[in-house]
Amino acid sequence: MALESISVIKLKNLLLVTVPSDPDDETISALQEQVLEAMAQHEAKGLVLDISRVQTLDSFFARTVAETVQMVALMGGRTVLAGMRANVAVTATQLGLTVGNALSALDVDRALDLLNAAHSGVRHV
Amino acid sequence: MNEPQQGEFQITSENDIVMARKVVRDAATTLGFGITDVTRIVTAASELTRNIYHYAKCGVMYWRVLNQDTRVGLELTFKDSGPGIPDVERAMEPGFTTGKGLGMGLPGSKRLMNEMTIESTVGKGTTVVVRKWLKQ
Repeated sequence: MALESISVIKLKNLLLVTVPSDPDDETISALQEQVLEAMAQHEAKGLVLDISRVQTLDSFFARTVAETVQMVALMGGRTVLAGMRANVAVTATQLGLTVGNALSALDVDRALDLLNAAHSGVRHV
Repeated sequence: MNEPQQGEFQITSENDIVMARKVVRDAATTLGFGITDVTRIVTAASELTRNIYHYAKCGVMYWRVLNQDTRVGLELTFKDSGPGIPDVERAMEPGFTTGKGLGMGLPGSKRLMNEMTIESTVGKGTTVVVRKWLKQ
């Protein structure tokens, strides 16, 4: 089976990545590489990972996301996870997963607001 | 009832982790599990299939519908002829791993399911059985 394609979209100084619904390990690893390359290429200040389509968040996925968040942070960017489904959140928590220091938002719109607010110096509690 | 009541799936490649998830998702959905339970079962299957792929390279997953008195459930069996687990008790401790994982797979899968048994012999292989019962 072919890799599910991932597109990294640049929106002003942010990157938006939509994670496919049921990615295999190879796709998730490829996603990490593409994101980091795009961060460097576009000098992006933030990353929105749209996971609203994701149906299964297992330990490999969570570890790769946590690593990516950490790598993006080292490159000066913030990551927001957008749109996690309720059933995925319940399952990931019971499994014992965390996704590092990622911020999270209900959807992509709110994720963009969150990153823009962070950059314009607005403090939020 | 013409729906299949059992099946098996060979695990030989990394891509089979995704395929096993699809098989389990279909079986659990058909049986009538709600979306959160389906996600729990599929996620446990993903962890246990990945364990087989990483530690034993290949193995097989069997699934079957359980009909016990008044309750109905789904049983998944993951069987391999890999290196085995030397200390099953330790392998069940969150955070313990001999590989590159997070050490969440076994204890996490147990939390997601209702029942879990592990039989393992070093040098012979490992069989993990998990069950989830349909809420009445």
